[in-house]
Amino acid sequence: MALSSGVGPATGIPGREDVRRDPREDHGSRLRRLARGAASRSSRVGLFVYALTLGGLLGLASADYATSGGYPFGGTSIGSWTAWPRAGSLDTDPYARAVNARRGDIPLAIGEGMLLTAASDDDGRVLDATCTYRLAGVTPPARAWTITVTGRGAPATGQEPVRTGFTSTEILRETDGRFAILLSPEVQAGNWLPMPRPSGPVRLALRLYDTPVAASVGSLDRDSLPAIERTGCGS
Amino acid sequence: MSRSAFLLATACGLVIAGIVHIATVLAIPRFSEGDAFTRARASETLDHPLRIHGLAGGPPAAGGAWLPNPDPAVSVGVCSYDLDDGPMRVSAQSGSLMLSVSMHSRRGAFYAVTDQAAVRGGLDLVVMTRAQYDEALANDVAGEVTRDVRIIAPARRGFAVVRVIAALPSERAAADAAVQAVSCTIDSPAEPTGDEAGSGKS
Repeated sequence: MALSSGVGPATGIPGREDVRRDPREDHGSRLRRLARGAASRSSRVGLFVYALTLGGLLGLASADYATSGGYPFGGTSIGSWTAWPRAGSLDTDPYARAVNARRGDIPLAIGEGMLLTAASDDDGRVLDATCTYRLAGVTPPARAWTITVTGRGAPATGQEPVRTGFTSTEILRETDGRFAILLSPEVQAGNWLPMPRPSGPVRLALRLYDTPVAASVGSLDRDSLPAIERTGCGS
Repeated sequence: MSRSAFLLATACGLVIAGIVHIATVLAIPRFSEGDAFTRARASETLDHPLRIHGLAGGPPAAGGAWLPNPDPAVSVGVCSYDLDDGPMRVSAQSGSLMLSVSMHSRRGAFYAVTDQAAVRGGLDLVVMTRAQYDEALANDVAGEVTRDVRIIAPARRGFAVVRVIAALPSERAAADAAVQAVSCTIDSPAEPTGDEAGSGKS
């Protein structure tokens, strides 16, 4: 009952419209179909080209971004330091391998030593060349180590810095074996490490040579690495 | 219809981007011409390491000095090898300065040793292929102890890196000299001639 009453008007109205539209559509639909065919064909080609271009450009740009500069991941962060124990080994990730290939770098192998880097201080602020920092504490067991400071990006032109790093032998120590390095743009008493350039971000590299910790980075904690403390900012 | 097609094309583009990204990252080490492996080839004809980071100043060696962030206290030299020419022997004398030797293939380092492993003041590393290793084992005289450290390389070509640390600025010249004093030689012709000499005497 409800079905038949519902079907009646529903079939009637489209039928009347079909009859009314038919003669016009016969003419227009052929044109429209042709136009639509051409448009869809060209738009299909256009979309294909668009997808390929988008894919190619995005893929190349992201690959370039990920492999320029430092290693994107694979480090172990310990406080403000990041350890890179397997940057040079055979089982390193493809990104580190690509970064090494692009820079021409030869990272330290596991049996040789380990690199640790720091780009920020213990409060998480980026190391700035206009500020003074105090690096104090101890280092993990190693036969020798060096701490160096480099400016990020292109080196500043002009005169060579007085020194760019300390080795474990030449550093001045307290009587208990601890040490403090002052990283500052101004001359400091004690272990003064001058800033490599007048302004901009800098980064520290701690290289441990012939160290047992390269094989067990997980055993390192905050207290086994020098603390990086900002003591003031000039200018 | 056009909007959904556009979204579909964008999705396809993103998938392609992912594939291109992965392929590019994997291809960079293979096709790079500025990597250490390619640049170290300049040292193939030398019988001592090519110094790529010297400490004592002076002009860098031709084709050297490309390391992006070298340690200012470490003198670095490279020796390239091709095991088709025969096993490569790296001989170093341990001195007062800390010395380390690492072996690299194109994919990364596969062996590293420091002068603490030296036997009677000398460190002899021989990089060889599996076949050359078997041959060397077969040629070993029974009861004779060799002090060579035999390393099987994962690839035919690669390079050895010698690092010497100058703990004090006054040791810089000595560190450069210690890198230069390491010898990288091809090992193959010595064994057969030694055998012939031995058989001729008997």
